[in-house]
Amino acid sequence: MDYFIYDGSFQGLLTAIYEAFYSKNQVGGILREDEYQPAFFANKIPVEADLQKSDQLYLAIKNKISPQSLRKIYYVFLSEKKETGLLIYHYLRLGFKIGRKIDSYLNHELVARLNQLSGKVSREAHLLKGLLRFRKIEGGVFYAPFEPDYNIITLLAAHFARRLADQDWLIHDKRRGLAAVYNREEWLLTDMVNLPDLRLTEEEKHYQRLWQSFYQHIAIEARKNPRLQVQNMPRRYWKYLIEK
Amino acid sequence: MDLLDKLSILADAAKYDVSCSSSGSSRKNTPGGIGNGARTGICHSWSDDGRCISLLKILFTNYCIYNCTYCINRAGNERPRAAFTPRELADLTINFYRRNYIEGLFLSSAVLRNPDYTMEQLLKTVRILRKEYKFNGYIHLKAIPGADLSLIFEAGKYADRMSVNIELPTRQSLKMLAPEKDFTAILTPMKNIGQAIRQNQEEKKKYRKAGPFVPAGQSTQLIVGASPETDYQVLKVSENLYGQFNMRRIYYSAYVPVNKDSILPALKSPPLLREHRLYQADWLLRFYKFRADELLSEEKPDFDLELDPKANWALRHLEYFPVEINKADYELLLRVPGIGVKSARRIVTARRNGSLSYYDLEKFGTVLKRARYFITCQGKYYGGIPIREDLVKSRLLSAGDRQQLSLFSQE
Ligand code: SF4
Repeated sequence: MDYFIYDGSFQGLLTAIYEAFYSKNQVGGILREDEYQPAFFANKIPVEADLQKSDQLYLAIKNKISPQSLRKIYYVFLSEKKETGLLIYHYLRLGFKIGRKIDSYLNHELVARLNQLSGKVSREAHLLKGLLRFRKIEGGVFYAPFEPDYNIITLLAAHFARRLADQDWLIHDKRRGLAAVYNREEWLLTDMVNLPDLRLTEEEKHYQRLWQSFYQHIAIEARKNPRLQVQNMPRRYWKYLIEK
Repeated sequence: MDLLDKLSILADAAKYDVSCSSSGSSRKNTPGGIGNGARTGICHSWSDDGRCISLLKILFTNYCIYNCTYCINRAGNERPRAAFTPRELADLTINFYRRNYIEGLFLSSAVLRNPDYTMEQLLKTVRILRKEYKFNGYIHLKAIPGADLSLIFEAGKYADRMSVNIELPTRQSLKMLAPEKDFTAILTPMKNIGQAIRQNQEEKKKYRKAGPFVPAGQSTQLIVGASPETDYQVLKVSENLYGQFNMRRIYYSAYVPVNKDSILPALKSPPLLREHRLYQADWLLRFYKFRADELLSEEKPDFDLELDPKANWALRHLEYFPVEINKADYELLLRVPGIGVKSARRIVTARRNGSLSYYDLEKFGTVLKRARYFITCQGKYYGGIPIREDLVKSRLLSAGDRQQLSLFSQE
């Protein structure tokens, strides 16, 4: 059985799947290095990300299956869950057989699993589009730390590049040591473990106080409902909220 | 008075308006500008009462010349008063937005000096935001009843959503609890905004370049429990508003006793469950093609607090059930308790590829706890009990409504 090992990037994953399609042996797994566990009879094949191959597969998914499927596959990749490589591989095999109709096979095992997982990632991204908080630090950059369950930083960066287009910002996934940096023109992804100096400006403290005060005053005492609050806004996201 | 005090006073005074939605706008950012709309809306936080905070919901001022009985800002109340300047408020909005605290601004106001003057202040604020600051985030603006229509129309060019609150569902209640307000003065701007929205939609079809006018539609709010109307009366009012005024959404606000007044009801706590039932029924009107008369009647004018309106309807109409999942059309699927818009769509999509079994439904995440008493899959019934009103009802009650109830009762 062949086990294709990729570097953890989306291009790497697509390249590995591309190679797997041409494999004569049975495909046992499409794995990141850290997922791989040596076993008897396993034929380990390291794959280097190849832009041409990954692009080719990317376009084939988009045109021969559907843009929707492509988006879902990307989200599933971002989930970083175990075994997603193989799930995507099998999903694509089915997809290339039946085309865009695959999106309507909601009761098919593979489709159901893919939808479920991509749904989770999409929900967290949506939630954090609201819950992410920027702080203006000395030097004028707006800094937003967070620790998401899934690797959604690219989804957020794209959103904020459209929205907060005229300010410098930096979104920092502290859990993964990743940052998206934006300079009013474009954003790019980089490794970032620690940051130099995060002193807040006086102006920043002023607006934080205003926001905290707004937050307290907007709640109706007679309707207090902490259970509903946590149900909507799970506690693990409170750490970086200014108001909590 | 410093900004922090103003903000505290004027947020506090705005909180009884329950709307905070930021949906319906797909406004794009402009070059050099800031902000855009998110069509489905985004919640940025949830306050201690569990409600979504999406917009900077605030009053321009709480100085008021009127004395509406149910309102905390009534002229006769002794409370701290404040007013922003348009510039202060525009700066606050932008700075909150830059930090991603909010989707935009929901600006309302008590009536300072006169309706025209108040409306002009609101207009100044949004003009600064849209024109000077190139702000393309969400703006929900209150139309002040009695203000000149030309002011209201201009505001509509900048706002994504506008609203005029009816507050009380009938002329009589309004007369009793808000004697200086006049039903016609409330309905007039509503009607005009509704017409202008329709006109704008048609213009847009003809010439692409027609500017936006209240693209996210208009909304209004009804207070529930401050006046003696039944649920049936309230729902009838809603139905008319949706039909006649091109209304996008109606909000129901459980009356919170803020003033002591002999003509107001003495409630121990706000009628939250009743409010919840009205929202459910409102949903049925908008997305499930129910009519108010199907849900309630003169004889049975109030919702069952135990069971939601759809389940209630189904139990009274068992002749429609069970429906076969593989045959029933979309509208009928929507009438099955436990099957919502999402599930109904999924069923219709998936069954194109072949007949669906009970387990297929489970696989794509349709929750069948309630639906199973009302459906068959490939001819088989999975309810396990005869379809009889009393039996099904008791199962439904143990299946989930209890949990929901506790969410809407007080801790
Ligand atoms: S006009 Fe509005 S703010 Fe003034 S008392 Fe009436 S409801 Fe309250």
